Amino acid sequence: MVSDIIETLASVARGSRSKSILTKVGEVCGDKLLKVERVSPSTIKVLIKADCLHEVAEVLSAERDVYFRTMAASDERPAENLFKLYYVFGIDSEGTNIVVEVPTDGEREVPSISDVVKACDWYELEAHDLMGVKFSGRFLKRLVLPDDWPEEIHPLRKDITTEEIKKLYQPQVVKRAVELGVEEIVKIPIGPYHPALHEPEYFELYVRGEKVVDARYVGFMVHRGIEKLAESMKYDQVPFLAERICGICGFVHSVSYTQAVEEALNIEVPEKTQYIRTIILELERIHSHLLWIGVALHLLGYDTGFMHAWRIREKVMVLSELLTGSRKTYGINLVGGVRKDINKEKIEKTKQTLKQVLNEYKEFVDVATSVPQVRRRLSGTGVLPGGEARAYSLVGPTARGSGLSRDVRKDYTYGAYHFVSFSIPTYSEGDNLARTLVRIDEVYESINIIEQLLDTIPSSSEIKVDSWEPQPMKLGLGNVEAPRGEVIHVVITGKYGPYRWRVRAPTYQNLQAVPTMLRGVDLADAPITIASIDPCFSCTDRAIKINIKTGKVEFIPLEVLSRGGVR
Amino acid sequence: MVEALPRNGSVDLAKAFDKLKRSIWVFHLNTGSCNGCDIEVLDVLTPYFDVERFGIKLVGSPRHADLILLTGPITIKTLDKVVRAIDAMPRPRLVLALGSCGVGGGIWFNTYSTLGGYPKLQELLKSLGVEVDKVVYVPGCPVRPEAIIYGVALLLGLAEPKVRYERVEAVEG
Repeated sequence: MVSDIIETLASVARGSRSKSILTKVGEVCGDKLLKVERVSPSTIKVLIKADCLHEVAEVLSAERDVYFRTMAASDERPAENLFKLYYVFGIDSEGTNIVVEVPTDGEREVPSISDVVKACDWYELEAHDLMGVKFSGRFLKRLVLPDDWPEEIHPLRKDITTEEIKKLYQPQVVKRAVELGVEEIVKIPIGPYHPALHEPEYFELYVRGEKVVDARYVGFMVHRGIEKLAESMKYDQVPFLAERICGICGFVHSVSYTQAVEEALNIEVPEKTQYIRTIILELERIHSHLLWIGVALHLLGYDTGFMHAWRIREKVMVLSELLTGSRKTYGINLVGGVRKDINKEKIEKTKQTLKQVLNEYKEFVDVATSVPQVRRRLSGTGVLPGGEARAYSLVGPTARGSGLSRDVRKDYTYGAYHFVSFSIPTYSEGDNLARTLVRIDEVYESINIIEQLLDTIPSSSEIKVDSWEPQPMKLGLGNVEAPRGEVIHVVITGKYGPYRWRVRAPTYQNLQAVPTMLRGVDLADAPITIASIDPCFSCTDRAIKINIKTGKVEFIPLEVLSRGGVR
Repeated sequence: MVEALPRNGSVDLAKAFDKLKRSIWVFHLNTGSCNGCDIEVLDVLTPYFDVERFGIKLVGSPRHADLILLTGPITIKTLDKVVRAIDAMPRPRLVLALGSCGVGGGIWFNTYSTLGGYPKLQELLKSLGVEVDKVVYVPGCPVRPEAIIYGVALLLGLAEPKVRYERVEAVEG
């Protein structure tokens, strides 16, 4: 029996790396390994019993080129009377995904793997919050839901509808406010600055004098219940929902979702669709990086740079409008195709605009990076060593600034990236300057990629498949290299729409490493350090400062903090 | 769409409101938006649109602000902070509800963790006794920078509104 499975393991393996890794998994599991199958050319699914999950995690995390990518919990009680956890590990050197499927009945505890796979910490907390899965061997606390959320309600379970949740959960804040009357609320001491959140996420920094000792992240203010919402939608409605996850890099989410569905249902999309998606993705990267460079310079007090970056960015926004019909939230993606074609006229116009953008950008970046204050503020601050970056499975420019050459465009290629040649800028210093330079170089690469694609774009007008048939309970993975890092979506298909849809944004992975970067930096460098991972960050974000000596709590806008204006 | 709220017959308030014609200070209140509208808000402040030439300035505290730029569908987790921020503003309080989410919850209007747009918040504010003096709704997903500027002009009475909000009750039979 066991030998049979090990034989199957070898036969489904994609290459020598996955073969040797799968064999090791087979050895530690023994007869607890129940089933192995290859669900798509790049994805291998391994079904194991919960008892040996920890051993599997140990084996996988010990491999140098294996990274933890995402984990999705799914309520499959209607079909199989079980909850299922899908842990996705990726073999970067081969572009293969290993999906470890763990069934659980919801009562018995699943062993926590966050001690060996640091990156899994939040995934477990989230599964506990939203799905009610219990984990052993770790401390469980509220992560996503409000503090006054009733213990027994898990919104992502299938046996509860949004209407029922609304009846069962009355936010305490509303009740309390009505009880007290507004007179009372006014009296609540709120400090010299109002803690109302601009960007709904904040950090608590613990400081001794001017040095940051430790930091804690408090967030999930933007939990809007998107995954539950998608379960009530049809396949072609979800891309529009997915785009509204993020207003800066929304297109990556809709592409990622459509790719996941296309992989699950085996839909071949036309080549031109791939080209169009890739061009828009790269355009989005340019605008997003320009936005970030502007905000970063603003945080350093170099407002001239901020204004110039956004001036150049405006051209990209107008170009997006030309190609897709809107400045942001393009809405051109469908499962199996796109809705807008790129014709000759548009190609010419795009090339022209890109040339202008390139010239202006080069001039601006040369000046901005040679300003001595900017260089000195950036270099040597917020250092994240490569080893830490690996342990947290970091993604995107944050990982590339720490010397890890990870890029989904190359490692798990998708879209039209295999038609173009481009390089992946990597710096090994791990400080804020390295992360900035990665992004600066990437803009040049993106312009280069779009130019190559425009030269070779197919002239056919076939941009979507005519029809496709949904099949229930198929698993699909979709990944895209977003401006901030790897986005990965897990879709389990249903009859008319996704049965379960799990979104993993890059900030989810990267934020967990910020406390490490913050330890030991000067308080004035904290804002740029937090911003250096590009956490969808607007310049008016706020931090809370707790002075360890006096125990005093102050709320300060990050802007003021970064100028060293707080004493 | 413009909705003028009763001014409580206060003469001082009306006077203050009439004086508010230029150089208004705005406070940007993100209530769980996707950042799409928020970057367009920043966009109108930077060189291409440059609203600072009209004296419109982004400030760090609602206590300094004449106008709140409210984006997002108002998630439950941000709700108490939002109420407190609006309450902290001096009168006359102006609100610009931006984007599809701000106007009516947008795509999130019916999820378990959002309130579903400014109108719902306004009902809540009313029950708490927090008066808001004037509201302008600016739809769009995300809202266009031109529309934000136009919305501010409407609020201040610098431009005439093209559409008006009117709530119609269904007549039976």
